Amino acid sequence: MSTKAGLRPWLSATRCMRRSQLSALQHRRMYSLLSPDDWQLLQDRRIRFKMLVDLFSKHGSNVTRDNAFQPHHQLHRPLAPSEATLSALIAAGAHFGHAKSLLNPNFMPYAYGVRAGITIIDLDSTLPLLRRAANLTRAIVARDGTVVFVGTRPDLRAVVRKAAERIGPQAFHVGERWLPGTLTNKLQLFGSDVAKEQRVTPDLVIFLNPLANIHAIRECAIQHIPTIGIVDSNVDPRVVMYAIPANDESPRAAELIAGVLSIAGREGRVLRDREEQSKELRQSRYMRAQERGTTRYVADRD
Amino acid sequence: MLTSVLRRPQGLSKFYSSQTRPFVPPASLNSFDFRQRQREKPRPTTPTFYTARPEFYDQLSSLESALQYAKTALTTCHLLPLPQFAREALPPRVNAWVDKRELGLKLRSTLTTSRYRRVVLVLNELETYRSIAEKAGIMELQEGIRGITELFERADAATMLARGKAKPVKLDEYGRSYTLGKRKTSSARVWIVPVQQPPVDKSTASQSIPAVTEADSALTALLNPNSSSKSNEAVSVAQILVNNTPLSTYFPIPADRARVIHPIKLAGLLGAYNIFAIVRGGGTSGQSGALAHGIAKGLVAHEPSATTILRKAKLLRRDPRMVERKKPGLAKARKRYAWVKR
Repeated sequence: MSTKAGLRPWLSATRCMRRSQLSALQHRRMYSLLSPDDWQLLQDRRIRFKMLVDLFSKHGSNVTRDNAFQPHHQLHRPLAPSEATLSALIAAGAHFGHAKSLLNPNFMPYAYGVRAGITIIDLDSTLPLLRRAANLTRAIVARDGTVVFVGTRPDLRAVVRKAAERIGPQAFHVGERWLPGTLTNKLQLFGSDVAKEQRVTPDLVIFLNPLANIHAIRECAIQHIPTIGIVDSNVDPRVVMYAIPANDESPRAAELIAGVLSIAGREGRVLRDREEQSKELRQSRYMRAQERGTTRYVADRD
Repeated sequence: MLTSVLRRPQGLSKFYSSQTRPFVPPASLNSFDFRQRQREKPRPTTPTFYTARPEFYDQLSSLESALQYAKTALTTCHLLPLPQFAREALPPRVNAWVDKRELGLKLRSTLTTSRYRRVVLVLNELETYRSIAEKAGIMELQEGIRGITELFERADAATMLARGKAKPVKLDEYGRSYTLGKRKTSSARVWIVPVQQPPVDKSTASQSIPAVTEADSALTALLNPNSSSKSNEAVSVAQILVNNTPLSTYFPIPADRARVIHPIKLAGLLGAYNIFAIVRGGGTSGQSGALAHGIAKGLVAHEPSATTILRKAKLLRRDPRMVERKKPGLAKARKRYAWVKR
């Protein structure tokens, strides 16, 4: 027999989930924070609880906070290009494309199929393209090139900043709107002294959301700057030079890809430093040989 | 064909530079640096160079780093995440940050409203963390955060925050209060001073006369200026002077007089204060209303306990009713002309 309250009002959610009410005194004691001592008590309670948790964490499961997945690990501890696997891409949700009706015909080679009305991106093609982009980044950074990470959504701001920080002084980031004319109208945007005296044209631009930055991509094409971009199923992969077919809406996928590329860039920097050191060593040896008069070519001797 | 183009740098000169380059033999092309001139130039220093607003974004990112640092410090001290009851125990955040123009000057870049709001959001969060640190007694962190937030606080923060609130009326060195009252187009400047009690003389004959209550004598004296009660010479009487004339002379209509006395009567302070007022503008009812307003405010300054009753009687409120303007098509503010069928 259904009543206004429901079939079995004694089993309703409010009745089942009602806990025992605290007494007024208990409530006051627990929930009053009038003096600094009360705050100290709060801190002490929490420290004791944490100590208890840490004590018991040593027993039981081997899964700890460090070796289990934590969302902030992707940003602060990214994968290296060699560590990027299909499972990692799937876990990041990089295989989700857009709706079937929005599929760009030029994206067809990178689409695995359709499921639940959504294009599934073929990660078997994504992974080698990601590795190729990583190799490119490494090579450019090793040759003293400048890299710009562009991610103009609020959730991509921290990603591009971290990625640029990881590579070092050769990398830059744009987390806000790309101002039109940054590359084609340098004189007006940066001033004549900066535009003429500094190296304003970058050597590589990486787009985490190319669809929103189509004008920036066009500027790069005008200036003959190679571009890498995460292309989704509604984007023509030919807009960028080196496309990485993946989900551009997922911040996890963007973190993974940007992380891989930034690690590759860091490796490039290490290579460059080593090369510089070996060059310096060779030069100093040659200078010393010249002074002593023991160079290989007689013509170089004084 | 492509290789021949590569081996003839002059063919590509329009893409690279306007000056011609010397012919480079193919064997040494591998080591030839086409972009040498570009490479000699220094790279931009800030990582936010390509946003075209590097100073602003650098400042913002440093503020966000400070916020992150404060958050980490508080988390280490087990104060974050703060439960709801603890958040409610914090004092309400009152801040007056500098305006958009000033903040732009401080950050050395012109700010749009959205950018200003972003900075203010970060500053508000910093201020919240500072109050948590202050309440919990972590003075070092509190001072560190204060060092950042005080750079962005208005110089006249106190006056800004007290803008909507009424200024407290102060008594001068003679114990007088000075208040302003308004009604319609009249304004009254009111000085109120407590009546000084003369020393009681025991030897005089006035003792035999039955003691008249001060209130009665005050009321009589106010309302009937011409009658002089010689028996009450020893008791001083509170006076009300309006534009240097006694109240009863200035306001012949009893309603106006009653309106002026009403606040003093309600507060029960009839014989206690001498009142001097200068009233300008308007007519009788406006001037009497302005006077009543000024007297009520002055009484509150002398006797704060009277606030409740005067507020309940709406005497502390400046009556906002003003004469409504005449409208075209109407004879007066609301009066319509006679309706004619045809």
